[in-house]
Amino acid sequence: MTDDQRPPGQGVDRGGGSAAGGALGCEDAMKSVFEYLDGELPPNYSERVRRHIEMCKRCYPYFNFEQAFLDYLHDRGVKPARSDRLEERLRTLLGEVDTEEAEGCD
Amino acid sequence: MSEKREGFEAEALIHLDGLYGLALRFTGGDDAAAQDLVQDTMLKAYRAWDNFQSGTNCRAWLTTILRNTFINDLRRTQKRPVPVEFDEVAERPIYPQLQGTDPEGRFFERIVDEEVIRAIEELPEDFRVPVVLADLEGLGYQEISELLEIPVGTVKSRLFRARRRLQQRLYSYAVEMGYIRRGE
Repeated sequence: MTDDQRPPGQGVDRGGGSAAGGALGCEDAMKSVFEYLDGELPPNYSERVRRHIEMCKRCYPYFNFEQAFLDYLHDRGVKPARSDRLEERLRTLLGEVDTEEAEGCD
Repeated sequence: MSEKREGFEAEALIHLDGLYGLALRFTGGDDAAAQDLVQDTMLKAYRAWDNFQSGTNCRAWLTTILRNTFINDLRRTQKRPVPVEFDEVAERPIYPQLQGTDPEGRFFERIVDEEVIRAIEELPEDFRVPVVLADLEGLGYQEISELLEIPVGTVKSRLFRARRRLQQRLYSYAVEMGYIRRGE
């Protein structure tokens, strides 16, 4: 199996390990995928992940895929919903608050 | 109609459908609970309307009230958390199966909105609420941790697992509908 065929997260750590502050390997970058995309990594570590994915033929498309998924969730997850019953009930209740407040002023 | 009521109808009530959609996600599709949540939110907002500065972001203000109302209710009524069984297959990444055929995740765009909405609503509550807060509302881990009173590490792991579950669910749907072929 060549590097290009290997699934993400099973790559060879090419450089320096993760703790020392050097180049990150695929596995470390993969573990941080959502934290990276959510902008939740400490700036230094985030920069190391960014440098890794820019250079890595396997991680780059994988990160793009996960970003597409998060964008999709965000765009499609909330859809307005209509309920005439809710609106009608709400208008009645707002009217009751109006009456309460008007009486409170007397 | 009073001036207050006119202002409220023009600036707040126009967001009713959007709030109701969000409330349905929070309550996992429980329509009665979602309607109660929106009703409580709107009544709180109306009573506090004099403090609202006209022209500022009313939708954001209403969303904050709705979110806080939901979370307060959740805390009040929460029973002992039901442990969600770890299902290794349901939480595997789907990318390895798609990297040869659809590495850009184009199949997502073919999935009807109702299916993604159903997938979110059917997540167990412990997973669903962080997803709604992070992925639909754009809140950060720290803010979610404070709102739900759970450690940041728990927010992170619940989000991770919930997103994997959603991916697997949408992937299975897309295979079933013939949008993609099941990968090896």
